[in-house]
Amino acid sequence: MDALNNLAGGFAHVLGGGAIFHALWATLIGIIIGALPGLTATMGVALLTTLTFGMGPDKAMLVLICVYVGAIYGGSRSAILLNIPGTPASAASTLDGFPLARQGLAGRAMGISTTGSWFGTLFGTLILALFAPSFGEFALQFGSYEMFWVALFGIVIAGSLSGGDALKGYIAGFIGLFVATIGQETNHAYPRFAFGNGDLAGGLGLLPVLVGVFGVAEVLSAMRGPAVKAVSSKIDSVIPRIRDVTQYWKTILRSGALGTFIGAMPGLGEDIAAWTSYAAAKRASKEREKYGKGSIEGLMAAETGESACVPGAIIPVLTLAVPGSAPAAVLMAAMMIHGLNPGPMLAITAPEFIYQIVAMLVVADMVKMFYGLVLVRPLLWILLIPRSRLMPIVFVLCTVGAFAITSRLFDIWVMLGAGLLGFVLREFRFPMAPLVLGIVLGDLLDKNLLRGLVLSGGDLTPFFTRPISMGLCALTLLAAAWSIPGLSGIFRRKRAVA
Amino acid sequence: MSDVDAASPFDGEKAPTSPRADLITAAVLFALGVAIVAQAWQMPRFIEQSGTGLTAPGIVPGFYGAVLSLLSVALGLRAIGRGGWVVRGAATGNAADRRQLTTAAALGLVYAGGMVGRVPFWLASALFVFAFTSAFEWDLGKQGRVRRIIEAALIGIGTGVAVMLVFEKLFLLRLP
Repeated sequence: MDALNNLAGGFAHVLGGGAIFHALWATLIGIIIGALPGLTATMGVALLTTLTFGMGPDKAMLVLICVYVGAIYGGSRSAILLNIPGTPASAASTLDGFPLARQGLAGRAMGISTTGSWFGTLFGTLILALFAPSFGEFALQFGSYEMFWVALFGIVIAGSLSGGDALKGYIAGFIGLFVATIGQETNHAYPRFAFGNGDLAGGLGLLPVLVGVFGVAEVLSAMRGPAVKAVSSKIDSVIPRIRDVTQYWKTILRSGALGTFIGAMPGLGEDIAAWTSYAAAKRASKEREKYGKGSIEGLMAAETGESACVPGAIIPVLTLAVPGSAPAAVLMAAMMIHGLNPGPMLAITAPEFIYQIVAMLVVADMVKMFYGLVLVRPLLWILLIPRSRLMPIVFVLCTVGAFAITSRLFDIWVMLGAGLLGFVLREFRFPMAPLVLGIVLGDLLDKNLLRGLVLSGGDLTPFFTRPISMGLCALTLLAAAWSIPGLSGIFRRKRAVA
Repeated sequence: MSDVDAASPFDGEKAPTSPRADLITAAVLFALGVAIVAQAWQMPRFIEQSGTGLTAPGIVPGFYGAVLSLLSVALGLRAIGRGGWVVRGAATGNAADRRQLTTAAALGLVYAGGMVGRVPFWLASALFVFAFTSAFEWDLGKQGRVRRIIEAALIGIGTGVAVMLVFEKLFLLRLP
């Protein structure tokens, strides 16, 4: 009953004071950002964080959640119409979305995408509402030792699974962790890696680094390489069909559950959720031969999975202060900037906040559905904006975003440096998710390792012997072992024999 | 049929790099890891304050540096195993790609590193957007070039003014 009261309170709180207006413009911007190839949800949340500095925390979170939800959905527009995923999360949607568009069924494909995405976010939000409060209470048992393992587990699992090459994933994660150590540490205020520079001693701001890694690096990536000729088709009705939902309800539920679960795993993110949901749907399907040639079920699975991942990725943010995806990492950084303290203590200090987030997700989902039905042709025009006109504007917004938080020109240089680092790492196929996770989790890992060592008087055993610590340690080692080719082969062979 | 002037930035993200490129990357990362460890080692230990030295500022970055070195050795060994020592990797991208990248990076550096803070922000942004758009649309052919340049100027001025109005006046943020 308390939960229902809190939920009602959450909706009442969120829906007051022009919230719908903010939700409308923020979701629209999110959809446009997601639809435009080269602009990702992570970049969208990072850039829009700047706009929210003058807002109260609740309005700011509503805006950023709407941008996040909208951007993940928006990526499917270009995936279906142009065969170019607007965000990495939408890559799986191109497999069946674009063939449907080529068959003259672009409208139906977008209707399926809208329906799947709507159900996905709703399913994930339901899971968040049901489990986040109790998981938050469980997380209160986590001390320094456990939080150290949670942070390390995030880096390891993101490194293992986010980019295909686990070794490069780990390296990206540890580079991120190193970047987070620059500046004064907390125990003795000693400036690490500052080399006598006062600005460096103050540390690298999270937002300038993230804007650089995702904004500047993406501008450079987008401007390199040839322009492609893409095909669009005429658009039929985008009204979703009831039959598509009733026929594939099992796929929707399975993809929703998978997407939410993958979202809740630190650092994995929407693209893995979409691919996993797509693969699971294909395995269970009676019409496998249609996959890749315009399967409605395949498109539904991918869209449901990626959108269910969004609320899933927010679950560990709220309960452990560990992000489930790269956009969720930026969202978490924005929460900290706005004075909200995500993590285990949230269940005590502001339990109502979890339900406010639930209400924000539902509002964003509804607005997304509205735009999905009415905003088809204008989006097609926006998709045709040449990159030579779009990217310089994005660069200007990145500069504003980097500067605005502390008004230091140094932060613009940080953005440029981070952009160069992100671009070079991307060129050498280092995944970005572990890098971001490393930067965001660096402080958590650093503080908890040192605090744990101080509490135990230098004894390492509590890191391995406390029950939850032991479990997290085992999970971390298992995740690391899984990425070693020989060992994962043994696991797979054993499973095949069984 | 319609043309879209943007390649997917995510194409080829899963494609592996050449073993030679991995080997060079590993060498650079190893040097970085060792440098981090060396810097961390030189940091004060604060043993008198903490009693144990366990809060020494260099412990955590030193650990990261050591792990980074080990991982880069693993990357290097893997690259050698794949022929990185003997096989030369093909140069990535063609001359046009490199020219586009250099142009974008140079314009971005001049704008963010040189003009911002010295020139009024709206003017710097307008000039940057104009220069960027004009530079990348110059090669589209003589036909319509004047029109494209006029459009670039209008987009530049529009961006500069809109950014100032939205961020400074509407959202009350300080601009550089």
